[in-house]
Amino acid sequence: MLVFRKPLENIERPQMPADVVIVGGGPAGMACALRLSQLIDEHNSKNRDSRLSKENIYVLEKSREVGQHCLSGALLDPRSMRELLPGFEKEAPLDAEVNKEAVYFLTEKGKFKFPITPPPLRDHGNYVISLNRFVKWLGSKVEETGITIFTGFAGSELLFDGARVIGVRTDDKGVDKQNQPKSNFEPGYDLHAKVVILAEGTRGSLTKQLIAKFDLAKDSNPQTYGQGIKELWEVPSGRVAPGEVIYTMGWPLTTKEYGGAWIYGGNDNIVSLGFVTGLDYPDPRLDPQRVLQDFKQHPFVASLLEGGKMIRYGAKSLPYGGWWAIPPVAGDGWMILGDSAGFLNSQRLKGIHLAIKSGMLAAETAFEALKKHDFSAATLSGFQKKVESSWIKDELWKVRNFHQGFEHGFFAGLFHAGIQQFTGGRGLRNRYAGTAGHQHMKKLAELPADGGNEAHLLGPAKGDGKLTFDKLTDLYHSGTKHEEDQPAHLVIHDTNICNTRCVKEFGSPCQNFCPANVYEMVDDAEQPNGKRISLNPSNCVHCKTCDIADPYQIITWVPPEGGGGPNYDGM
Amino acid sequence: MPDTILVTVEQREGKLNRVSWETLTAGQALAAETGWTLEAAVVGSGVANFANEVAAKKVSKVYAVESPKLEPYTPDAFSAALKQFIESKQPKLVLLPHTYQVRDFVPKLATAMGRTAITDCIGYKKEGGKLLFTRQMFQGKLAADVSFTCDAPWFVTFQNGAFRGDKAEAGASAAPVETVNVQIADGVIRNKPQEVFKEAKQAVDLTQAEIIVSVGRGIKEQKNIELAKQLAEALGGELAASRPICDSGWLPMDRQIGSSGQTVAPKLYLALGISGAIQHIVGMKGSRTIIAINKDSEAPIFEIADYAVVGNLFDIVPPLIEEVKKAKAGS
Repeated sequence: MLVFRKPLENIERPQMPADVVIVGGGPAGMACALRLSQLIDEHNSKNRDSRLSKENIYVLEKSREVGQHCLSGALLDPRSMRELLPGFEKEAPLDAEVNKEAVYFLTEKGKFKFPITPPPLRDHGNYVISLNRFVKWLGSKVEETGITIFTGFAGSELLFDGARVIGVRTDDKGVDKQNQPKSNFEPGYDLHAKVVILAEGTRGSLTKQLIAKFDLAKDSNPQTYGQGIKELWEVPSGRVAPGEVIYTMGWPLTTKEYGGAWIYGGNDNIVSLGFVTGLDYPDPRLDPQRVLQDFKQHPFVASLLEGGKMIRYGAKSLPYGGWWAIPPVAGDGWMILGDSAGFLNSQRLKGIHLAIKSGMLAAETAFEALKKHDFSAATLSGFQKKVESSWIKDELWKVRNFHQGFEHGFFAGLFHAGIQQFTGGRGLRNRYAGTAGHQHMKKLAELPADGGNEAHLLGPAKGDGKLTFDKLTDLYHSGTKHEEDQPAHLVIHDTNICNTRCVKEFGSPCQNFCPANVYEMVDDAEQPNGKRISLNPSNCVHCKTCDIADPYQIITWVPPEGGGGPNYDGM
Repeated sequence: MPDTILVTVEQREGKLNRVSWETLTAGQALAAETGWTLEAAVVGSGVANFANEVAAKKVSKVYAVESPKLEPYTPDAFSAALKQFIESKQPKLVLLPHTYQVRDFVPKLATAMGRTAITDCIGYKKEGGKLLFTRQMFQGKLAADVSFTCDAPWFVTFQNGAFRGDKAEAGASAAPVETVNVQIADGVIRNKPQEVFKEAKQAVDLTQAEIIVSVGRGIKEQKNIELAKQLAEALGGELAASRPICDSGWLPMDRQIGSSGQTVAPKLYLALGISGAIQHIVGMKGSRTIIAINKDSEAPIFEIADYAVVGNLFDIVPPLIEEVKKAKAGS
């Protein structure tokens, strides 16, 4: 019997007052904390009589150590970092400046190189980084300024007073599989904050709670997502130079799926490679982890990796929807940053610089609110205005219809992207509508039984143990670890749907889209279809794909006990 | 009359709990800082000798709070006894070690007296005539200073290790000891203590086993575990499993081998119906000899097995048990 995680009820919780609570210590949250600290320091040096305190500004981070849940390609566009910390290049952990780039279209065995690199994919001046190391460094800057980062603590739910957000409840620790306190039980804290800043990453669980409560997405396009599967490789020298960037489109995807791959050369013969598959593919049997394995078997890619060793694995979802899918980002007592809001340029495949910039702008607004002692929507909506008058909007406005153009396949997408390129992002109309990705998923009955043109993409990867890996082997390299004796944090609101409908209609796609083998249909003679949903929550890598892609939208991802999760060292 | 600090020391099974000395050190320091009188109490039945032991330390007075009903320990009796005693002596501050026993009865005692307790403190401060007690928050990342707003008596418990027990000062001469007999009415004690047990840390230590029979998903149903158990018994080995088996509750978690379980290196590891995902392999690859039985000839377990048996374990294991028994009988 599955029991799902839920904050315990009718217990007394420690209460703690706070000025600002930032939920999530990624690039957005850390940039926000750092900028806020800078502004306060500057203020205090000029206003000795009305000093502001940093003591009650906190960052909650669910990973055991700062940066351990941060994963990205990653290329860093340095624009926002130069604003945040001029000269940051001298001390930040950067692998290499991009010095060589190429874009290929792959067929099953062949490749076509684009004669020129399309402007959005030109990366000269950007840096190849490990986001994990970069955020660790940024986190150390934050801690140096005297702001406390609570690692190992997750935001488990928002606290409300009417239409106002008044704080965050952290995760209950020491709760067993049946959601009962164990001998080491520690109730979550209620942090009563003047302002809560949500920087949880893609599909943040508190952000989801907030959006649902106030119906914030009603005027936006539905957010659409991609799932990035990444492997870090150590290869024989001379294969991919530090600072070399390769993008590919095409194989193994067909024209019906959206996505592509990256290969970045880092230092010490480390190569980052990965595949992003749009979570709006039609065939429920598709497995994005398999897509990456197929990609590596392409002769071009295999030749780069041969004789090398896979050293880490991870997965992350990313928001593709663009400008029209961003909900309001500020209200009474709250602001939303980075991937949680959807600040990502899907044409350039970059979001880190926007996450950082959004964190800085939110910090400026929070600073004004602290000075005025006013945390109402009237003051915090200053953040909304700052975003709209900043280069965040300039950049996203130009690509506002980009992803929607691809909703009807690759060729239609290229057509729309072409027109948009010449009309400042407009294309055929100012605002293209969008459809939530899960609505593109087709039922098995509507698809060819053998998979048709997609056949090569479907089903789990086998893996040869050298170039390709089955999912469990890949998963081992994510280093993910959780306390086993805790309730399932993948909250399925109605498991009957899994056991009676989904298994028949879609063939249980959770088993395929989850990159961590969390979902499993086990034999159960008592079920009408002979199968029953079973969960392996301790495998989870916190990518949120299940919350996004499940066709019935009955899965809610909530944070497991703080401290659990992947170990993305060097990712 | 000056205010009093009362340190309640803990005795259990004929011994003073050594954490009590730490609490006494805390009491001495607080008494020095506040100028209040320091007294101590031992609660139980026949505890005069403990009271004498405590009286050797620098305290004004030691009470032996006695009742035959205090043995064995029950939270009902202890809180009733201390309530009576504290109400008669009216100390300002009651200090206790943060032990399991104290955690058990102090919330009840404080609530019965309409007071609050500040528990698990790691220190104290005196600021502007106000006593503040320091507690850890966020797993030690922050410390909070907490003060009482209610009337005395104030209950405070100190964390194990917060003060040094060996620093408890000895008195110039033994302090007077007074026995206080408390009356615990019939019907007060509703708890019925059972035999004290210690939760075994590890019911079975697989790392010491020379032979391990380990089962995986191939065992199919819970009832088939019995088969593996018989084989383990025949071989004189221990039974273990891969994660799905323990996750389903078919075997306890302490028998799980692998990255989220134990790491073992027995002389013989017999893997029944285990596919050999890397998460399992890392927990047993150091075994001297690995025999794997699996019907899937492609199973990765065969890559590290010394002996690979491709076949149905339900056909192989029963005759194997017989053969092992025969061989053992013959030797």
